Amino acid sequence: MIKVSDLKKDFPIFEREINGKRLTYLDSGATSQKPSVVINEMSNVYANMNANVHRGTYVLSSETTTKYEDVRNKLKDFINAYSADEIIFTKGCTEGFNFLANSICKELSPGDEIILSEIEHHANIIPWQMAAEKYSLKINYINITESFDLDLDHFENLLSAKTKVVSIVGESNMSGMLPDIQKLNSLIKEKTDAIYIVDGAQLVPHRKIDVQELGIDFICVSGHKMLGPTGIGVVWGRKELLEKLDPVYGGGDMIEEVFYDSATWAPVPHKFEAGTPPYVEAIGLGAAVDYLSNLNMKNVEKHSDDLREYAKKKLENIKGLNVVHTNSKLAGCTFAMSVNGVHATDISLMLDTFGVAVRAGHHCVQPFHRKLNLDATFRATGYIYNDEEDFDILSDAIEESIKILT
Amino acid sequence: MSIEEKVEDYKKTLAMFPNPQEKYQYLIEQAKKNEDFPQELRIDEFKVNGCQSQVWLVPEEKKNKLYFKSDSDALIAKGLVTLIASIYSNEAPEDIANSKIDLMEEFELGVILSPARRNGAFSMLKTIKEFSQKLAN
Repeated sequence: MIKVSDLKKDFPIFEREINGKRLTYLDSGATSQKPSVVINEMSNVYANMNANVHRGTYVLSSETTTKYEDVRNKLKDFINAYSADEIIFTKGCTEGFNFLANSICKELSPGDEIILSEIEHHANIIPWQMAAEKYSLKINYINITESFDLDLDHFENLLSAKTKVVSIVGESNMSGMLPDIQKLNSLIKEKTDAIYIVDGAQLVPHRKIDVQELGIDFICVSGHKMLGPTGIGVVWGRKELLEKLDPVYGGGDMIEEVFYDSATWAPVPHKFEAGTPPYVEAIGLGAAVDYLSNLNMKNVEKHSDDLREYAKKKLENIKGLNVVHTNSKLAGCTFAMSVNGVHATDISLMLDTFGVAVRAGHHCVQPFHRKLNLDATFRATGYIYNDEEDFDILSDAIEESIKILT
Repeated sequence: MSIEEKVEDYKKTLAMFPNPQEKYQYLIEQAKKNEDFPQELRIDEFKVNGCQSQVWLVPEEKKNKLYFKSDSDALIAKGLVTLIASIYSNEAPEDIANSKIDLMEEFELGVILSPARRNGAFSMLKTIKEFSQKLAN
Protein backbone atom coordinates (compact mmCIF):
# COMPACT_ATOMS: atom_id res chain seq x y z
CA MET A 1 0.00 0.00 0.00
CA ILE A 2 1.24 3.46 -0.85
CA LYS A 3 0.56 6.06 1.81
CA VAL A 4 0.73 9.33 -0.09
CA SER A 5 1.04 11.61 2.93
CA ASP A 6 4.23 9.77 4.01
CA LEU A 7 5.59 9.33 0.51
CA LYS A 8 5.22 13.04 -0.33
CA LYS A 9 7.86 13.82 2.30
CA ASP A 10 10.42 12.17 0.01
CA PHE A 11 9.76 14.84 -2.65
CA PRO A 12 11.12 18.27 -1.67
CA ILE A 13 9.02 20.06 -4.31
CA PHE A 14 5.84 19.45 -2.34
CA GLU A 15 7.07 21.89 0.30
CA ARG A 16 6.33 24.65 -2.22
CA GLU A 17 3.19 26.70 -2.35
CA ILE A 18 1.82 27.98 -5.65
CA ASN A 19 -0.20 31.19 -5.63
CA GLY A 20 -0.57 30.79 -1.89
CA LYS A 21 -2.07 27.31 -2.26
CA ARG A 22 -0.73 23.79 -1.79
CA LEU A 23 0.85 22.40 -4.96
CA THR A 24 -1.52 20.03 -6.73
CA TYR A 25 0.81 18.56 -9.33
CA LEU A 26 -1.12 16.61 -11.96
CA ASP A 27 1.31 16.79 -14.89
CA SER A 28 3.43 13.70 -14.31
CA GLY A 29 2.55 12.53 -17.81
CA ALA A 30 4.84 15.34 -18.97
CA THR A 31 7.46 14.79 -16.28
CA SER A 32 7.48 13.33 -12.80
CA GLN A 33 8.78 15.02 -9.67
CA LYS A 34 12.03 13.75 -8.15
CA PRO A 35 12.57 12.19 -4.73
CA SER A 36 15.52 13.37 -2.62
CA VAL A 37 17.34 10.06 -3.18
CA VAL A 38 17.63 10.85 -6.91
CA ILE A 39 18.67 14.47 -6.37
CA ASN A 40 21.19 13.49 -3.68
CA GLU A 41 22.65 10.62 -5.66
CA MET A 42 23.41 12.90 -8.60
CA SER A 43 24.94 15.54 -6.31
CA ASN A 44 26.99 12.80 -4.68
CA VAL A 45 28.49 11.72 -8.00
CA TYR A 46 29.43 15.29 -8.94
CA ALA A 47 30.75 16.08 -5.47
CA ASN A 48 32.63 12.90 -4.67
CA MET A 49 33.47 10.71 -7.64
CA ASN A 50 33.05 12.55 -10.90
CA ALA A 51 35.20 11.23 -13.74
CA ASN A 52 34.43 10.11 -17.28
CA VAL A 53 33.38 6.49 -17.52
CA HIS A 54 35.10 3.56 -19.25
CA ARG A 55 38.40 5.30 -19.98
CA GLY A 56 40.11 6.19 -16.72
CA THR A 57 42.67 4.06 -14.92
CA TYR A 58 42.15 5.80 -11.62
CA VAL A 59 39.87 5.40 -8.59
CA LEU A 60 37.30 8.07 -9.49
CA SER A 61 36.71 6.76 -13.01
CA SER A 62 36.56 3.20 -11.81
CA GLU A 63 33.94 4.10 -9.15
CA THR A 64 31.81 6.09 -11.60
CA THR A 65 32.04 3.36 -14.23
CA THR A 66 31.00 0.69 -11.73
CA LYS A 67 28.03 2.75 -10.58
CA TYR A 68 27.02 3.58 -14.16
CA GLU A 69 27.25 0.00 -15.45
CA ASP A 70 25.41 -1.25 -12.38
CA VAL A 71 22.35 0.76 -13.47
CA ARG A 72 22.03 -1.66 -16.40
CA ASN A 73 21.65 -4.49 -13.90
CA LYS A 74 19.03 -2.54 -11.96
CA LEU A 75 17.06 -1.94 -15.15
CA LYS A 76 17.49 -5.54 -16.25
CA ASP A 77 15.82 -6.66 -13.01
CA PHE A 78 13.23 -3.88 -13.17
CA ILE A 79 11.83 -5.00 -16.54
CA ASN A 80 13.09 -8.62 -16.35
CA ALA A 81 15.35 -8.41 -19.41
CA TYR A 82 17.28 -11.53 -20.42
CA SER A 83 20.60 -9.77 -19.84
CA ALA A 84 21.98 -6.39 -18.74
CA ASP A 85 23.62 -6.05 -22.18
CA GLU A 86 20.15 -5.53 -23.63
CA ILE A 87 19.81 -2.18 -21.82
CA ILE A 88 20.83 0.66 -24.18
CA PHE A 89 21.01 4.13 -22.66
CA THR A 90 19.47 6.93 -24.72
CA LYS A 91 18.51 10.55 -24.08
CA GLY A 92 14.91 9.46 -23.73
CA CYS A 93 12.09 7.81 -25.63
CA THR A 94 12.34 10.24 -28.53
CA GLU A 95 15.95 9.33 -29.18
CA GLY A 96 15.02 5.68 -28.68
CA PHE A 97 12.45 5.79 -31.49
CA ASN A 98 14.78 7.75 -33.77
CA PHE A 99 17.49 5.16 -33.22
CA LEU A 100 15.15 2.22 -33.83
CA ALA A 101 13.44 3.76 -36.87
CA ASN A 102 16.77 4.60 -38.52
CA SER A 103 18.46 1.37 -37.71
CA ILE A 104 15.57 -1.01 -38.45
CA CYS A 105 14.19 0.69 -41.58
CA LYS A 106 17.62 0.73 -43.25
CA GLU A 107 17.30 -3.05 -43.62
CA LEU A 108 13.76 -2.99 -45.09
CA SER A 109 12.71 -3.08 -48.76
CA PRO A 110 10.58 -0.49 -50.59
CA GLY A 111 6.88 -1.21 -50.06
CA ASP A 112 7.40 -2.84 -46.65
CA GLU A 113 4.88 -1.69 -44.05
CA ILE A 114 4.98 -0.19 -40.58
CA ILE A 115 1.93 -0.24 -38.31
CA LEU A 116 1.33 2.51 -35.76
CA SER A 117 -1.95 3.57 -34.14
CA GLU A 118 -3.98 6.74 -34.49
CA ILE A 119 -3.27 7.74 -30.90
CA GLU A 120 0.55 7.61 -30.94
CA HIS A 121 2.77 10.30 -29.48
CA HIS A 122 4.64 12.28 -32.14
CA ALA A 123 7.87 10.59 -30.97
CA ASN A 124 6.40 7.32 -32.25
CA ILE A 125 5.21 8.83 -35.55
CA ILE A 126 7.73 11.30 -36.93
CA PRO A 127 10.85 9.08 -36.82
CA TRP A 128 8.89 6.43 -38.78
CA GLN A 129 7.59 9.03 -41.24
CA MET A 130 11.15 10.23 -41.85
CA ALA A 131 12.42 6.69 -42.35
CA ALA A 132 9.41 5.77 -44.52
CA GLU A 133 10.17 8.64 -46.85
CA LYS A 134 13.85 7.75 -47.03
CA TYR A 135 13.33 4.03 -47.69
CA SER A 136 9.94 4.14 -49.54
CA LEU A 137 8.01 2.36 -46.81
CA LYS A 138 4.30 2.57 -46.06
CA ILE A 139 2.78 3.50 -42.68
CA ASN A 140 -0.65 2.20 -41.65
CA TYR A 141 -2.49 3.49 -38.60
CA ILE A 142 -4.76 1.29 -36.47
CA ASN A 143 -8.14 2.95 -35.92
CA ILE A 144 -9.10 4.07 -32.45
CA THR A 145 -12.66 3.19 -31.43
CA GLU A 146 -15.24 5.61 -30.02
CA SER A 147 -14.32 4.45 -26.54
CA PHE A 148 -10.69 5.41 -27.22
CA ASP A 149 -9.29 1.89 -27.54
CA LEU A 150 -7.46 0.11 -30.34
CA ASP A 151 -9.73 -1.37 -33.02
CA LEU A 152 -8.34 -4.90 -32.95
CA ASP A 153 -10.32 -6.08 -36.00
CA HIS A 154 -8.79 -3.27 -38.00
CA PHE A 155 -5.37 -4.21 -36.64
CA GLU A 156 -5.78 -7.81 -37.76
CA ASN A 157 -6.78 -6.62 -41.22
CA LEU A 158 -3.69 -4.46 -41.47
CA LEU A 159 -1.30 -7.28 -40.57
CA SER A 160 0.24 -8.97 -43.62
CA ALA A 161 3.47 -10.47 -44.87
CA LYS A 162 4.50 -6.93 -45.76
CA THR A 163 4.30 -5.78 -42.14
CA LYS A 164 7.83 -5.48 -40.82
CA VAL A 165 7.42 -3.20 -37.80
CA VAL A 166 4.57 -2.68 -35.33
CA SER A 167 5.17 0.17 -32.89
CA ILE A 168 2.36 0.95 -30.46
CA VAL A 169 1.93 2.87 -27.26
CA GLY A 170 1.91 0.80 -24.06
CA GLU A 171 -0.16 3.33 -22.10
CA SER A 172 -1.74 6.26 -23.90
CA ASN A 173 -0.67 9.72 -22.70
CA MET A 174 -4.09 11.01 -23.78
CA SER A 175 -6.84 8.46 -23.11
CA GLY A 176 -5.05 6.23 -20.58
CA MET A 177 -5.65 3.26 -22.93
CA LEU A 178 -3.65 0.15 -21.98
CA PRO A 179 -3.53 -2.19 -24.97
CA ASP A 180 -3.32 -5.91 -24.25
CA ILE A 181 0.34 -6.25 -25.20
CA GLN A 182 0.43 -10.05 -25.01
CA LYS A 183 -2.59 -10.32 -27.26
CA LEU A 184 -1.13 -7.87 -29.79
CA ASN A 185 2.13 -9.79 -29.68
CA SER A 186 0.48 -13.10 -30.43
CA LEU A 187 -1.54 -11.58 -33.30
CA ILE A 188 1.65 -10.13 -34.76
CA LYS A 189 3.69 -13.31 -34.35
CA GLU A 190 0.90 -15.47 -35.80
CA LYS A 191 0.62 -13.53 -39.01
CA THR A 192 3.98 -11.85 -39.61
CA ASP A 193 7.67 -11.83 -38.81
CA ALA A 194 7.42 -8.17 -37.80
CA ILE A 195 9.30 -6.56 -34.94
CA TYR A 196 7.00 -5.41 -32.11
CA ILE A 197 8.06 -2.22 -30.32
CA VAL A 198 6.24 -0.86 -27.28
CA ASP A 199 6.28 2.83 -26.42
CA GLY A 200 6.86 2.50 -22.69
CA ALA A 201 7.08 6.22 -21.84
CA GLN A 202 3.88 6.18 -19.75
CA LEU A 203 3.67 2.44 -19.16
CA VAL A 204 6.96 1.66 -17.40
CA PRO A 205 6.59 4.35 -14.68
CA HIS A 206 3.16 3.00 -13.70
CA ARG A 207 3.07 -0.77 -14.15
CA LYS A 208 5.14 -3.87 -13.46
CA ILE A 209 6.70 -4.82 -16.76
CA ASP A 210 8.17 -8.19 -17.60
CA VAL A 211 9.50 -8.10 -21.16
CA GLN A 212 10.03 -11.87 -21.23
CA GLU A 213 6.43 -12.55 -20.26
CA LEU A 214 5.11 -9.98 -22.73
CA GLY A 215 7.13 -11.54 -25.54
CA ILE A 216 7.84 -8.19 -27.21
CA ASP A 217 10.99 -7.27 -29.14
CA PHE A 218 11.77 -3.71 -28.02
CA ILE A 219 10.54 -1.18 -25.49
CA CYS A 220 11.45 2.51 -25.22
CA VAL A 221 11.63 3.94 -21.71
CA SER A 222 11.78 7.54 -20.51
CA GLY A 223 13.76 8.21 -17.32
CA HIS A 224 12.29 11.54 -16.30
CA LYS A 225 8.74 10.21 -16.31
CA MET A 226 9.67 7.58 -13.69
CA LEU A 227 11.24 9.81 -11.01
CA GLY A 228 14.61 9.97 -12.77
CA PRO A 229 16.39 12.98 -14.23
CA THR A 230 15.86 14.41 -17.71
CA GLY A 231 18.20 13.45 -20.56
CA ILE A 232 18.20 9.73 -19.86
CA GLY A 233 16.12 6.89 -21.19
CA VAL A 234 16.47 3.30 -22.22
CA VAL A 235 15.84 1.12 -25.23
CA TRP A 236 15.53 -2.49 -24.28
CA GLY A 237 15.75 -4.99 -27.13
CA ARG A 238 16.32 -8.71 -27.54
CA LYS A 239 20.04 -9.27 -27.75
CA GLU A 240 19.87 -11.31 -30.97
CA LEU A 241 18.02 -8.41 -32.66
CA LEU A 242 20.34 -5.75 -31.23
CA GLU A 243 23.33 -7.67 -32.54
CA LYS A 244 21.91 -7.51 -36.06
CA LEU A 245 21.22 -3.76 -35.94
CA ASP A 246 23.74 -1.16 -37.06
CA PRO A 247 24.52 1.82 -34.84
CA VAL A 248 23.08 5.18 -35.85
CA TYR A 249 25.61 7.39 -34.06
CA GLY A 250 29.33 7.06 -34.54
CA GLY A 251 32.05 8.36 -32.23
CA GLY A 252 34.12 7.47 -29.21
CA ASP A 253 33.38 4.50 -27.01
CA MET A 254 31.28 2.58 -29.57
CA ILE A 255 34.13 1.04 -31.54
CA GLU A 256 36.37 -1.97 -31.37
CA GLU A 257 38.98 -0.91 -33.93
CA VAL A 258 39.23 2.18 -36.10
CA PHE A 259 41.18 2.47 -39.35
CA TYR A 260 41.36 5.42 -41.72
CA ASP A 261 38.88 3.80 -44.08
CA SER A 262 36.67 1.75 -41.78
CA ALA A 263 35.85 0.72 -38.24
CA THR A 264 34.44 -2.21 -36.34
CA TRP A 265 31.86 -1.89 -33.62
CA ALA A 266 32.08 -2.63 -29.93
CA PRO A 267 29.73 -5.38 -28.72
CA VAL A 268 26.14 -4.65 -27.64
CA PRO A 269 25.23 -2.40 -25.81
CA HIS A 270 28.27 -0.16 -26.28
CA LYS A 271 28.08 0.02 -30.08
CA PHE A 272 24.87 2.05 -29.68
CA GLU A 273 26.29 4.50 -27.13
CA ALA A 274 28.67 6.83 -28.94
CA GLY A 275 30.49 9.54 -27.00
CA THR A 276 30.46 10.32 -23.30
CA PRO A 277 27.16 8.96 -22.00
CA PRO A 278 24.99 10.94 -19.58
CA TYR A 279 26.42 8.82 -16.78
CA VAL A 280 25.30 11.08 -13.92
CA GLU A 281 21.75 11.03 -15.27
CA ALA A 282 21.95 7.26 -15.68
CA ILE A 283 23.08 6.91 -12.04
CA GLY A 284 20.18 9.20 -11.04
CA LEU A 285 17.85 6.88 -12.95
CA GLY A 286 19.35 3.97 -11.04
CA ALA A 287 18.33 5.67 -7.78
CA ALA A 288 14.82 6.18 -9.18
CA VAL A 289 14.58 2.50 -10.11
CA ASP A 290 15.67 1.55 -6.57
CA TYR A 291 13.03 3.88 -5.13
CA LEU A 292 10.26 2.39 -7.30
CA SER A 293 11.46 -1.18 -6.64
CA ASN A 294 11.36 -0.52 -2.89
CA LEU A 295 7.79 0.69 -3.23
CA ASN A 296 7.13 -2.46 -5.29
CA MET A 297 5.71 -1.90 -8.78
CA LYS A 298 2.66 -4.01 -7.89
CA ASN A 299 1.79 -1.36 -5.27
CA VAL A 300 2.46 1.42 -7.78
CA GLU A 301 0.08 -0.32 -10.19
CA LYS A 302 -2.64 -0.74 -7.56
CA HIS A 303 -2.29 2.90 -6.54
CA SER A 304 -2.64 4.02 -10.17
CA ASP A 305 -5.73 1.82 -10.68
CA ASP A 306 -7.47 2.98 -7.48
CA LEU A 307 -6.73 6.62 -8.19
CA ARG A 308 -7.89 6.31 -11.79
CA GLU A 309 -11.17 4.74 -10.64
CA TYR A 310 -11.78 7.60 -8.20
CA ALA A 311 -10.72 10.35 -10.61
CA LYS A 312 -12.83 8.96 -13.45
CA LYS A 313 -16.03 9.08 -11.39
CA LYS A 314 -15.20 12.51 -10.05
CA LEU A 315 -14.36 14.09 -13.41
CA GLU A 316 -17.18 12.45 -15.36
CA ASN A 317 -19.65 14.04 -12.93
CA ILE A 318 -18.59 17.59 -13.73
CA LYS A 319 -21.26 19.29 -15.79
CA GLY A 320 -20.02 20.59 -19.13
CA LEU A 321 -16.73 18.68 -18.98
CA ASN A 322 -15.86 16.27 -21.82
CA VAL A 323 -13.45 13.59 -20.69
CA VAL A 324 -11.37 11.76 -23.30
CA HIS A 325 -10.78 8.50 -21.46
CA THR A 326 -11.08 4.85 -22.33
CA ASN A 327 -14.05 2.87 -21.01
CA SER A 328 -11.90 -0.17 -20.37
CA LYS A 329 -11.75 -1.56 -16.86
CA LEU A 330 -8.01 -1.23 -16.88
CA ALA A 331 -6.39 2.09 -17.85
CA GLY A 332 -3.80 4.63 -16.88
CA CYS A 333 -4.66 7.54 -14.58
CA THR A 334 -4.60 10.01 -17.46
CA PHE A 335 -7.49 12.26 -18.41
CA ALA A 336 -7.55 14.63 -21.38
CA MET A 337 -10.46 17.03 -21.01
CA SER A 338 -12.24 19.84 -22.79
CA VAL A 339 -15.10 22.22 -22.12
CA ASN A 340 -17.29 23.29 -25.02
CA GLY A 341 -16.62 26.87 -25.97
CA VAL A 342 -13.70 27.30 -23.55
CA HIS A 343 -10.08 27.13 -24.67
CA ALA A 344 -7.89 24.56 -22.89
CA THR A 345 -5.19 27.17 -22.18
CA ASP A 346 -7.76 29.40 -20.42
CA ILE A 347 -8.77 26.53 -18.16
CA SER A 348 -5.21 25.52 -17.38
CA LEU A 349 -4.15 29.13 -16.64
CA MET A 350 -7.12 29.42 -14.32
CA LEU A 351 -6.35 26.06 -12.65
CA ASP A 352 -2.82 27.33 -11.99
CA THR A 353 -4.30 30.12 -9.87
CA PHE A 354 -5.71 27.35 -7.65
CA GLY A 355 -2.24 25.78 -7.39
CA VAL A 356 -3.22 23.01 -9.83
CA ALA A 357 -0.63 22.10 -12.48
CA VAL A 358 -2.06 20.46 -15.61
CA ARG A 359 -0.99 20.50 -19.23
CA ALA A 360 -2.83 22.25 -22.06
CA GLY A 361 -2.30 21.64 -25.75
CA HIS A 362 -2.28 18.61 -27.99
CA HIS A 363 0.17 16.63 -25.78
CA CYS A 364 2.16 15.64 -28.89
CA VAL A 365 -0.90 13.73 -30.15
CA GLN A 366 -1.98 16.26 -32.76
CA PRO A 367 -3.44 13.93 -35.42
CA PHE A 368 -5.79 12.31 -32.90
CA HIS A 369 -6.91 15.69 -31.54
CA ARG A 370 -7.66 16.66 -35.14
CA LYS A 371 -9.68 13.47 -35.60
CA LEU A 372 -11.76 14.36 -32.54
CA ASN A 373 -12.16 17.94 -33.84
CA LEU A 374 -10.40 19.30 -30.78
CA ASP A 375 -7.84 22.12 -31.08
CA ALA A 376 -6.49 21.34 -27.66
CA THR A 377 -7.34 19.61 -24.42
CA PHE A 378 -6.10 20.00 -20.89
CA ARG A 379 -4.76 16.91 -19.24
CA ALA A 380 -4.43 15.67 -15.69
CA THR A 381 -2.25 12.67 -14.87
CA GLY A 382 -1.88 11.06 -11.47
CA TYR A 383 1.20 9.36 -10.06
CA ILE A 384 2.43 7.83 -6.81
CA TYR A 385 2.47 11.15 -4.93
CA ASN A 386 -1.11 12.03 -5.90
CA ASP A 387 -4.17 11.04 -3.93
CA GLU A 388 -7.93 11.49 -3.93
CA GLU A 389 -7.57 14.96 -2.41
CA ASP A 390 -5.62 16.10 -5.50
CA PHE A 391 -8.52 15.10 -7.74
CA ASP A 392 -11.02 16.71 -5.34
CA ILE A 393 -9.08 19.96 -5.60
CA LEU A 394 -8.84 19.57 -9.38
CA SER A 395 -12.58 18.96 -9.74
CA ASP A 396 -13.52 21.94 -7.58
CA ALA A 397 -11.04 24.14 -9.45
CA ILE A 398 -12.41 23.00 -12.83
CA GLU A 399 -15.95 23.85 -11.73
CA GLU A 400 -14.85 27.27 -10.48
CA SER A 401 -12.87 27.91 -13.67
CA ILE A 402 -15.82 26.99 -15.87
CA LYS A 403 -17.96 29.49 -13.92
CA ILE A 404 -15.40 32.24 -14.44
CA LEU A 405 -14.82 31.48 -18.12
CA THR A 406 -18.38 30.99 -19.35
CA MET B 1 -1.78 59.31 -24.88
CA SER B 2 1.69 58.11 -25.82
CA ILE B 3 2.67 54.45 -25.83
CA GLU B 4 4.56 55.00 -22.56
CA GLU B 5 1.56 56.65 -20.91
CA LYS B 6 -0.77 53.87 -22.00
CA VAL B 7 1.62 51.25 -20.64
CA GLU B 8 1.84 53.17 -17.36
CA ASP B 9 -1.95 53.30 -17.23
CA TYR B 10 -2.38 49.56 -17.72
CA LYS B 11 0.43 48.90 -15.27
CA LYS B 12 -1.48 50.83 -12.60
CA THR B 13 -4.73 49.03 -13.41
CA LEU B 14 -3.11 45.59 -13.31
CA ALA B 15 -1.38 46.42 -10.02
CA MET B 16 -4.83 46.90 -8.47
CA PHE B 17 -5.39 43.16 -8.72
CA PRO B 18 -3.21 41.43 -6.18
CA ASN B 19 -3.51 37.83 -7.35
CA PRO B 20 -3.18 36.13 -10.74
CA GLN B 21 -6.80 34.98 -10.84
CA GLU B 22 -8.08 38.56 -10.57
CA LYS B 23 -5.60 39.71 -13.20
CA TYR B 24 -6.87 36.97 -15.53
CA GLN B 25 -10.45 38.04 -14.82
CA TYR B 26 -9.49 41.59 -15.80
CA LEU B 27 -8.02 40.27 -19.08
CA ILE B 28 -11.17 38.21 -19.66
CA GLU B 29 -13.26 41.38 -19.25
CA GLN B 30 -11.07 43.14 -21.82
CA ALA B 31 -11.52 40.17 -24.15
CA LYS B 32 -15.28 40.24 -23.79
CA LYS B 33 -15.36 43.95 -24.69
CA ASN B 34 -13.44 43.24 -27.89
CA GLU B 35 -16.24 41.82 -29.97
CA ASP B 36 -16.01 43.53 -33.33
CA PHE B 37 -13.37 41.32 -34.98
CA PRO B 38 -14.71 40.24 -38.37
CA GLN B 39 -14.83 36.42 -38.74
CA GLU B 40 -13.48 36.67 -42.30
CA LEU B 41 -10.21 38.07 -40.95
CA ARG B 42 -9.55 34.89 -38.95
CA ILE B 43 -7.19 33.72 -41.67
CA ASP B 44 -3.62 32.44 -41.71
CA GLU B 45 -2.28 35.72 -43.13
CA PHE B 46 -3.11 37.48 -39.85
CA LYS B 47 -2.32 34.64 -37.51
CA VAL B 48 0.42 35.26 -34.94
CA ASN B 49 2.81 32.32 -34.85
CA GLY B 50 4.16 30.95 -31.61
CA CYS B 51 1.02 31.22 -29.46
CA GLN B 52 -0.50 28.20 -27.72
CA SER B 53 -3.94 29.35 -28.77
CA GLN B 54 -4.84 30.93 -32.09
CA VAL B 55 -4.22 34.69 -32.15
CA TRP B 56 -4.95 37.10 -34.98
CA LEU B 57 -3.63 40.67 -35.36
CA VAL B 58 -4.75 42.83 -38.26
CA PRO B 59 -2.95 46.12 -38.83
CA GLU B 60 -4.62 49.04 -40.56
CA GLU B 61 -3.11 52.39 -41.54
CA LYS B 62 -5.18 55.58 -41.43
CA LYS B 63 -3.66 59.03 -41.89
CA ASN B 64 -0.15 57.89 -40.98
CA LYS B 65 -1.38 56.23 -37.81
CA LEU B 66 -1.57 52.51 -37.17
CA TYR B 67 -4.54 50.66 -35.71
CA PHE B 68 -4.72 47.00 -34.75
CA LYS B 69 -7.70 44.71 -34.66
CA SER B 70 -7.16 41.58 -32.62
CA ASP B 71 -8.77 38.27 -31.74
CA SER B 72 -8.05 34.88 -30.21
CA ASP B 73 -9.93 31.64 -29.65
CA ALA B 74 -8.75 31.62 -26.01
CA LEU B 75 -10.13 34.25 -23.64
CA ILE B 76 -7.04 35.13 -21.61
CA ALA B 77 -4.84 35.34 -24.72
CA LYS B 78 -7.52 37.50 -26.31
CA GLY B 79 -7.48 39.81 -23.29
CA LEU B 80 -3.72 40.13 -23.60
CA VAL B 81 -3.71 40.80 -27.33
CA THR B 82 -6.58 43.30 -26.87
CA LEU B 83 -4.48 45.17 -24.36
CA ILE B 84 -1.37 45.09 -26.56
CA ALA B 85 -3.38 46.19 -29.61
CA SER B 86 -4.84 49.14 -27.71
CA ILE B 87 -1.37 50.23 -26.51
CA TYR B 88 -0.02 50.38 -30.06
CA SER B 89 -3.14 51.57 -31.87
CA ASN B 90 -3.56 55.23 -32.85
CA GLU B 91 0.23 55.62 -32.96
CA ALA B 92 2.63 56.64 -35.74
CA PRO B 93 4.57 53.70 -37.23
CA GLU B 94 7.92 55.29 -36.34
CA ASP B 95 6.86 55.77 -32.70
CA ILE B 96 5.92 52.11 -32.45
CA ALA B 97 9.11 51.02 -34.20
CA ASN B 98 11.22 53.15 -31.85
CA SER B 99 9.47 52.30 -28.58
CA LYS B 100 11.71 50.23 -26.36
CA ILE B 101 9.24 49.17 -23.75
CA ASP B 102 9.57 45.65 -22.40
CA LEU B 103 5.98 44.77 -21.58
CA MET B 104 7.13 41.53 -20.02
CA GLU B 105 9.01 43.54 -17.41
CA GLU B 106 6.37 46.20 -16.94
CA PHE B 107 3.30 44.02 -16.45
CA GLU B 108 3.27 41.57 -13.62
CA LEU B 109 1.12 39.03 -15.33
CA GLY B 110 2.36 35.82 -13.79
CA VAL B 111 2.85 32.83 -16.01
CA ILE B 112 1.32 34.30 -19.14
CA LEU B 113 4.22 36.72 -19.49
CA SER B 114 6.86 34.49 -17.94
CA PRO B 115 9.77 33.26 -20.07
CA ALA B 116 8.05 29.90 -20.40
CA ARG B 117 5.28 31.47 -22.42
CA ARG B 118 7.22 34.39 -23.79
CA ASN B 119 6.91 33.09 -27.30
CA GLY B 120 3.24 34.00 -27.51
CA ALA B 121 3.38 37.56 -26.18
CA PHE B 122 6.72 38.15 -27.89
CA SER B 123 5.23 37.07 -31.19
CA MET B 124 2.33 39.52 -30.75
CA LEU B 125 4.78 42.38 -30.14
CA LYS B 126 7.09 41.22 -32.92
CA THR B 127 4.19 41.25 -35.40
CA ILE B 128 3.28 44.80 -34.40
CA LYS B 129 6.88 46.01 -34.51
CA GLU B 130 7.66 44.40 -37.85
CA PHE B 131 4.64 45.97 -39.47
CA SER B 132 5.49 49.40 -38.05
CA GLN B 133 9.12 49.07 -39.13
CA LYS B 134 8.03 48.33 -42.68
CA LEU B 135 5.83 51.43 -42.81
CA ALA B 136 8.32 53.66 -40.97
CA ASN B 137 10.93 52.90 -43.61
